[in-house]
Amino acid sequence: MTINQLPSTLEGAPPEHLECGDICRPQELARNVDVSGLVDRKNGLVDRAIFTDRALYEQELARVFATSWLFLGHVEHLKKTGDFFTTFMGEDPVIVTKDKQGRIRAFLNSCRHRGARVLRADYGAARAFTCTYHGWAFDLEGKLISVPNEDGYANADWDREKWGLVEVAQLETVFGLIFATWNPEAVPLDEQLGDMKYYMEAFLGRDPDGTTVVGGITKWVLKGNWKLAAEQFGTDWYHVNMSHASALMVMSPTGKGPKSDIANTPGRQYSDERGNGTGFPTHPKSRFDAQPVHEYYDYDELRERLGKAAVEGPLTTGHATVFPNFSYLPVNGSIRVWHPKGTEEMEIWSWTVLDKGMPEEVREAQRLYNLRTFGPSGIFEQDDGENWSEIQAISHGWRTNTVPLNYQMGMGTEREDGVYPGETSELYSDAAGRRFYSRWAELMNTPAWHEKEAEQ
Amino acid sequence: MSAGIVVAQVGDIDDGEGIQVVASVLGTVDNVAVFHDDGEYFALDDTCTHETASLAEGWVEDGCVECPLHAAKFCLGDGKVQSMPATVDVFAHQVVVDGDDIRVVPNPERLAS
Repeated sequence: MTINQLPSTLEGAPPEHLECGDICRPQELARNVDVSGLVDRKNGLVDRAIFTDRALYEQELARVFATSWLFLGHVEHLKKTGDFFTTFMGEDPVIVTKDKQGRIRAFLNSCRHRGARVLRADYGAARAFTCTYHGWAFDLEGKLISVPNEDGYANADWDREKWGLVEVAQLETVFGLIFATWNPEAVPLDEQLGDMKYYMEAFLGRDPDGTTVVGGITKWVLKGNWKLAAEQFGTDWYHVNMSHASALMVMSPTGKGPKSDIANTPGRQYSDERGNGTGFPTHPKSRFDAQPVHEYYDYDELRERLGKAAVEGPLTTGHATVFPNFSYLPVNGSIRVWHPKGTEEMEIWSWTVLDKGMPEEVREAQRLYNLRTFGPSGIFEQDDGENWSEIQAISHGWRTNTVPLNYQMGMGTEREDGVYPGETSELYSDAAGRRFYSRWAELMNTPAWHEKEAEQ
Repeated sequence: MSAGIVVAQVGDIDDGEGIQVVASVLGTVDNVAVFHDDGEYFALDDTCTHETASLAEGWVEDGCVECPLHAAKFCLGDGKVQSMPATVDVFAHQVVVDGDDIRVVPNPERLAS
């Protein structure tokens, strides 16, 4: 069993009811648009407004990001009590830390008093989280433990217990990756991933002892709606030979590009109704890994443990998105999250994953290889970023914005092939893209748990 | 017979850390925090003079302890306040290292009557 449901999920229950007094947000502030006319799955078409419209973006935060399992970070960042890192869930800043019982906890990084962040650092160790504005201090379990001039609240209906940090509703880890959700009604992470776990294991389970990460997170800002990147990593091998032509030539042994049968490799693309997608070549010689990393692996042992299909498919070169905004590349050890920053911009946070058993020289080779290819100035990453920014830059033109985009490749080819779990199509396919947007539209059209609560 | 009360052995307190000695052990009015800073030991009243927080949980750096809650700073040697938001000094107690024993001699002004 690879999913660990952490005790915090059960014991660290979020406050049942936030102190709201007579605060009751009027419905007009939470406008919702029916997006049925923006995503046409049957015909494989998408309306460009989904990349540009501010109202849709806010609905996305409330109905897609608020309800989904979101990637937070790697367990290796939290070794001791008080170790923490900060990240975002959608646009919500969160603190992820290890409490005195050794449980991983995630809290909204916003003081309950005036709303400032109570933690400004990217990562480190703390004994308490103290807001720098007025000094409200919270312990590692989110409990409010100190309020300067607390006597001043004597005439209010003051109960310090009610003003702790807001905690996520559920938190789980899989293959050393931490995921959480605000949604108390979200299906377990295990169920959300489903067959996707098989493909993740081919990457994150190469070492039975698990993975670690290169220290630190590489972060950069890019013009482009977050979905452009998430979609590409889920569904798009198609762009590789065109967009990355120069990079492929530089990387090939001859300098002239890969051989024809590798450039036109067969492969499969997995997709599911929960929006997850991954594609991978099945050509046994299609690989772009660093030589020391390639030599490090015992492929016979991997075949025996993970199966031939995994080793000659998703274990090597490929692309993947776990819905909505976590993506990875097995060959580089690159894992990343596309943080949404408005309709126009995303922040890319990227880590390099290493197998725990890798000796130092192999770790260094993987680190450099990932930086060179998919770091912020990597020869492949630059190509991708240029495409996304280019699409975004022109997408507000009226004529531009009103011409639907094409996601028709491989229409109807998804099937169970008897080799790979779940439904797969050909490698060159938009199947995962259609399912990504179909899941997106489903969530956009479904009132979230918090809206149902608000109605009561 | 050496002065003071044994509160710990050398090696019990990691460098840069502090321990809290409860008031009843020393007969003092407040708990006492005993710190290890680069081979030297210091003792101060444990409770910050700003808000209720244990200085033993604080961060030891450059001869000072920083309160874990609001970052007020006190000199480890004499307890004098070095940084807002605290404005009042904490009392210091004498520490004697006697072989492996770390002894605290309570400040007479802080003995419970």
